[in-house]
Amino acid sequence: MPTFKLDDQVIDYQPGDTIIQAAHRAGVDIPHYCWHPGLSVAANCRMCLVEIAPPPGRPAMLLDVLRYDEKKGDYVKARKPKLQPACQQPVAEGMDVKSQTSEHVKEARAAVQEFLLLNHPVDCPICDQAGECRLQDYWLEHSGKKKRMHDEIVHKPKTVDFGPTIVYDAERCIVCTRCVRFCEEVVKDPVLDKRERGNLGEIVLAPGRLLDHDYTLMTEYVCPVGALTAKDFRFKARVWFLRSVRSVCQGCATGCSSFTDYDPRNQTVYRHRPRENMQVNKYWMCDEGMLDYRRVHEDRVLSARIGGSTTTPEAALVAAAKALAAAESGKTALLLSALHSNEDNYALLELGRQLGIESVFLAGKPAGKGDDILRSTDKNPNRAGVLLLLGDKPPGDIAALAAAIDGGKVTTVLGVGSDIEDPAFASSLAKAKLIALVTHEGPVSQAAHVVLPASSWAEAEGTFVNGKGMSQVSEKAIATQGSSEPAWRWAISLAERLGKALPFKKAKEVKAASLVQGASSGVQA
Amino acid sequence: MEPLDVELDETEVELATEPMLVNVGPSHPAMHGTVRCVMELSGESIHRVDVQVGYLHRGFEKMCERGTWSQVFPYVDRCNYVSPMLNNVGFSLACEKMLGIEVPERCQWYRMALGELARISDHLTCDGAMAMELGAFTPFLWMVKARDMIWDVMEEETGARLTHSFGRVGGMAKPPTDQFKEHTLAVVEQVLKIVDESEKLVLTNRIFLDRLEGVGKISAADAISLGWTGPCLRAAGVPYDVRRAHPYLKYSEVEFDVPVGTSSDCLDRFLIRFAEIKQSAHIVRQCIARLPDSGPVDVDDPRVVMPPKSEVYTTIEATIQHFKIVMEGLKIPAGEVYSYTEGGNGELGFYLVSDGSGTPFRVRIRPPCFLITGGLEKVITGQMVADVVPCFGSLNMIGGECDR
Repeated sequence: MPTFKLDDQVIDYQPGDTIIQAAHRAGVDIPHYCWHPGLSVAANCRMCLVEIAPPPGRPAMLLDVLRYDEKKGDYVKARKPKLQPACQQPVAEGMDVKSQTSEHVKEARAAVQEFLLLNHPVDCPICDQAGECRLQDYWLEHSGKKKRMHDEIVHKPKTVDFGPTIVYDAERCIVCTRCVRFCEEVVKDPVLDKRERGNLGEIVLAPGRLLDHDYTLMTEYVCPVGALTAKDFRFKARVWFLRSVRSVCQGCATGCSSFTDYDPRNQTVYRHRPRENMQVNKYWMCDEGMLDYRRVHEDRVLSARIGGSTTTPEAALVAAAKALAAAESGKTALLLSALHSNEDNYALLELGRQLGIESVFLAGKPAGKGDDILRSTDKNPNRAGVLLLLGDKPPGDIAALAAAIDGGKVTTVLGVGSDIEDPAFASSLAKAKLIALVTHEGPVSQAAHVVLPASSWAEAEGTFVNGKGMSQVSEKAIATQGSSEPAWRWAISLAERLGKALPFKKAKEVKAASLVQGASSGVQA
Repeated sequence: MEPLDVELDETEVELATEPMLVNVGPSHPAMHGTVRCVMELSGESIHRVDVQVGYLHRGFEKMCERGTWSQVFPYVDRCNYVSPMLNNVGFSLACEKMLGIEVPERCQWYRMALGELARISDHLTCDGAMAMELGAFTPFLWMVKARDMIWDVMEEETGARLTHSFGRVGGMAKPPTDQFKEHTLAVVEQVLKIVDESEKLVLTNRIFLDRLEGVGKISAADAISLGWTGPCLRAAGVPYDVRRAHPYLKYSEVEFDVPVGTSSDCLDRFLIRFAEIKQSAHIVRQCIARLPDSGPVDVDDPRVVMPPKSEVYTTIEATIQHFKIVMEGLKIPAGEVYSYTEGGNGELGFYLVSDGSGTPFRVRIRPPCFLITGGLEKVITGQMVADVVPCFGSLNMIGGECDR
């Protein structure tokens, strides 16, 4: 592999790389605002300027400048090298690049930082970006200088409503055009553009349009400063109080790698944001997925129920065990969920096997809108995982289960999952003795005879296999809510009440066991 | 007059031969904090003793490791709460050593002056309390009166009499007040006068002297092997003083003596504190003479020093600086350091480990009192029960430093 030198460190590069790309791959950070690995190069922020030594035998490109000489009390003529933006300059073999080691670069970056903050409002205390803002980080790292301009700053529009999800603040904007490029290049919907120049520059909407495509929240996420803020997250939390876990988006079968940000103090999930995974979602996520975290707290079933009235988990377990024990042999069915993890489904499958249940069905959310960027029409994060668990015995669908109940072939159902493809089947489900491990209110919880509250994906670690057959682990963020337990744990408790013992007790054991059963064939992304 | 007792043949009296276990503390007026001494007595003499600290457990070090570096200051205030300023300065110096920064000259003199005032207050408390516990209540009031004058200066400078939280990484919370010099010089003069009077009050008292002289002796070798430092070690004749042996701040530029004892008993430990008060007063006067009236107190480094509030509210640069230091904490480069200063009772050391973040990874404190209390067993074994009080008093155990 060819190499070049960055701050006297030898770095590999691939032909065609720019300096910042090669450095980024090698884990060396060159400060930048406008450059984004997934977008085209704009080279407008000038933060990534580097000094490049002239090729051997060639004179350096020097600029004539005036420098203030304190001793003379006057400006004197001086020369300094012409700096190059690292995001735009392709690497050449043996190139000698100075980033942090060059005094000229340091001076330039401090000056760029001073320029960017020249008209910036004193907004940190009320800005949602504070704590993860490049302006803050780079000021301390590269400038650290006090304000020299004491004139009134240039005022521009604040709290501009860009659409259903985004609010724009032109005063905080550094016009890096990342949002413009994202809409144009990734979503192919050029709804944003830049107008004016210099300190009047701002981002505007296309006439007659709103920022209302399916990836609007990504514009907020690519924004390196607090110019674009998400209405969903505005004034909800301070980021330095949040902790993150690596999770998997539950919105559809794409299974985007994500971070779930939660506040450990009140055990509340506040945000979902993309996690770089070049095999699955690259740097992006859709609005639907980023807002999907809200389901962790909305419409949850948090207590056990028998026949619609709230009861203790213990009483519900006893009732469930009684119903399962009393069922006529061969007339009990298992209903798995394409929304639940491998662990949950596997534990239920194992319980079913020990109880001698033959008929297995699979339900999930109905299909929805898809596109060729990220979104899949299958809105279930783990259909592929359940199918792998079942191997060569494909499950019946919800229509088949409804028909079996209506035909009297099934009288008792043990099911996991709150959603079915069509709520119309709920009336059939209600005819059977349905023991349901549900996370959310819905047709299943309404039809169930016994309801056991199951934990959502954010409250337990789980393995999910996406539409491409890639298996990913979603980590546990918050503690279980109410009297909910992970579905696999309910399966263990139910087995105990029925005098059976499942071959696992701990999260680790059920994870290991469910891997053996087939999901290991998925690629670990 | 008739004898009150019936005449008894002494051979018939059965004397107890079993040793007797006596529990003193953890909550007992003779124990200066929550310390417990389980003593095995034979008659009135102490055969064996087991000194137990640990009844005070705030989790001091763990508390320090959960906030930012600046948020440690209120905790070190509560370490030796009789001379909190010395702890503040000690911790500041440790952080500054890791950062590789040195505070401006004005700050160094200011820190020294305040620190020596704190040392005087520490020694006055120890000697006053010791006299009081032996029944001499007037000298106690005398010395605490002097201590209050010092605390007046502290209040004037820091806003608090006891727990100042006045140290900062890279400087002090505020520059010296305009009347600091005048006020301090006046107080030092008064304090020296009171110390002289107190000396006259107790040192001509036969009962007082009898209870201290030759009591609670310890050899220099034992004191060293126990890890003793400070006045207790110097009373044993070892002239080790961090200010002299490893000068920090401007201690190499001031004149002062390191008084040492000769007999290493309770009286020596009592007298050495009086002698050190006079030396500290001498240092304070030199600091006041050399403390510049103007100039910066804080280092000029935006990474560690808070910007002026007036700028925080009006300029974005200062807002960011404030935000970074308050919300994320000032960042100390990854590494470890052992930094030590002369505290009120000896070598006060901070062993700090930083992982480069805004929160200390490890704060280990070497409090002088913890090691000195470790020697209490050696000091009082073989002594009479009544000697426990002066021995314990002369070691000046500060409960907050024995937090384990």
